[in-house]
Amino acid sequence: MDSAARRLNLPARVESVAVFRDFVRSGAAEAEVPADELEKLDLVLEEILMNIARYAYPPETGSAEVAFAPDGPGKLQLEISDWGNAFNPLDVEPPDFSRGLAERPIGGLGVFLVRSLVSSIAYRREGDRNILSFGFPGPGE
Amino acid sequence: MTIETADLGKAVLVKVAGRMDAENAHEFEQACEQWMTRGTKHLIADLDGLQYVSSMGLRSFLSVAQKLQSNSGSLVLCGLHGLPRQVFELTRLIGLFSVFDTSEQALATL
Repeated sequence: MDSAARRLNLPARVESVAVFRDFVRSGAAEAEVPADELEKLDLVLEEILMNIARYAYPPETGSAEVAFAPDGPGKLQLEISDWGNAFNPLDVEPPDFSRGLAERPIGGLGVFLVRSLVSSIAYRREGDRNILSFGFPGPGE
Repeated sequence: MTIETADLGKAVLVKVAGRMDAENAHEFEQACEQWMTRGTKHLIADLDGLQYVSSMGLRSFLSVAQKLQSNSGSLVLCGLHGLPRQVFELTRLIGLFSVFDTSEQALATL
């Protein structure tokens, strides 16, 4: 992402999610992302940031960075980074939809939701940094 | 997020409104568990006022439903619409729950 992108770095904690959300929403408003897509954008951010907060670092340590830039009318390109252990969330297996209520695993839905709601998504490791980049909004219904 | 509960006799109505996310999803689980410890078997979650739910909220719905089912009870949903409905559909959780338009319809099936 080029130097014109806006960036925010905060502790990797659940309390930071709302601050990141407001930061990205300001960019979404400038890029004129349709209003009915904004809560999906909140959802994508929350899922990725909560994965970082819960799994990337020992508890109460580490940071996450969100960067975004306009990508044409109504569209944003985003990058979310952390400096935890190398981890590609796109390697996570999709949920097993064949299982009934009693056997349905409680986790694993977040990454699946993210992939469903973005237009493209890619992971790369640069040095000690995990970078997940994606386009928003997704393809729609 | 706001949670209001009402005892309807055959079931307890749990009205959830606002945004259910990583910070507050446990409050829904706690509210349901308070009724479960008092012997309630059937809960009706009225989601008409729910605007947003993330995977942490979905975990709470699944967890409550699994506990009730293992005790011969159920969690049924009503008023599901907008983004929350889309999230239940994308994750195919919608097929694991009985879903009704209104709480009256849900209550009539119990």
